[in-house]
Amino acid sequence: GSGGKEGKGWKKFQSYKGEGALPSEVERLRIYVDRKAQTVILPMHGSAVPFHINTIKNASKNDEGEFTILRINFQTPGQLAGKKEDTPFEDPDATFIRSVSYRSPDGHRFDNICKQITDLKKEANKREQQKKEMAD
Amino acid sequence: MTTQFDRIFHGLSPEVGKFRVAASGMAWKGADSEGVIAIPASHIDWAQWMRVARGFQLRIGMRDDKREHRTEKFDGFAREDQDKISSLLKTHFGKSLETKEVSFKGWNWGTTDFQGNNLAFLVSDRTAFELPLTQVNNSNMASRTEVTLEFSSVSSSAKTPAKSMGDEMVEIRFHVPGVHTKLKGSGSDD
Repeated sequence: GSGGKEGKGWKKFQSYKGEGALPSEVERLRIYVDRKAQTVILPMHGSAVPFHINTIKNASKNDEGEFTILRINFQTPGQLAGKKEDTPFEDPDATFIRSVSYRSPDGHRFDNICKQITDLKKEANKREQQKKEMAD
Repeated sequence: MTTQFDRIFHGLSPEVGKFRVAASGMAWKGADSEGVIAIPASHIDWAQWMRVARGFQLRIGMRDDKREHRTEKFDGFAREDQDKISSLLKTHFGKSLETKEVSFKGWNWGTTDFQGNNLAFLVSDRTAFELPLTQVNNSNMASRTEVTLEFSSVSSSAKTPAKSMGDEMVEIRFHVPGVHTKLKGSGSDD
């Protein structure tokens, strides 16, 4: 690493360089999946908050009465390692967002968003795998 | 002389309105409800400018005659409005418009900072988002390193059809490592 403070094996990634790159859809205050930027943008009390797909572990959906709950789980240190190799972090001692849950009366839309996030994650994993194979 | 900005939102409300600035103060008037938010010149304490979901936000810190503090937020300004707002604030109220830097990196790690009634999450020292603590209706620690915040429903008080509203965040969980001893790998960084 160039800065010297980056955690071992962590590769830099970034959703957007500045506010001008945010897609116009964020003004609807709804979750938006920006495939091109490999980013999921979450509305948080008026802000449009991007999360790169590399920070996301998975997304799940649950129906609760007339509402649907969409939960997004993030990569954080200290989770039970399912894989042999642990995910590298830039700063494992930082505060991490572990999960965020949203509620909507529109189950179809959340179903669709959940699929989009899952597909984006699959694509990212596949690319990562290909990179590894190339390096070997 | 009054300067007017159209299609401005007050807080998180879906209703658009007009925002006016004059020497006597500032005011927002809703297009449908005819509700008015008035800010007299003498109450204006500070002003901030930051990018939010619905364009740019003008945030006004107020201090009334009883010296009580209040913050009003107005969304929907254009990038180009910054200079105009900045000079209006300077001319009419002698206040400068402070820019709040926002992170768009897309990272889920950073630091938390209590700022008034808000819990701010900062990524590389820039604000990623703010959570109003007044809307937290429950919080708990599932373990020594996990903090959960639950938010009260805002949709129950809204009159607009639920499907046209924005998505509602109901819960956020933080992983807070706390005071763990840092494990040093190579030992080269003394």
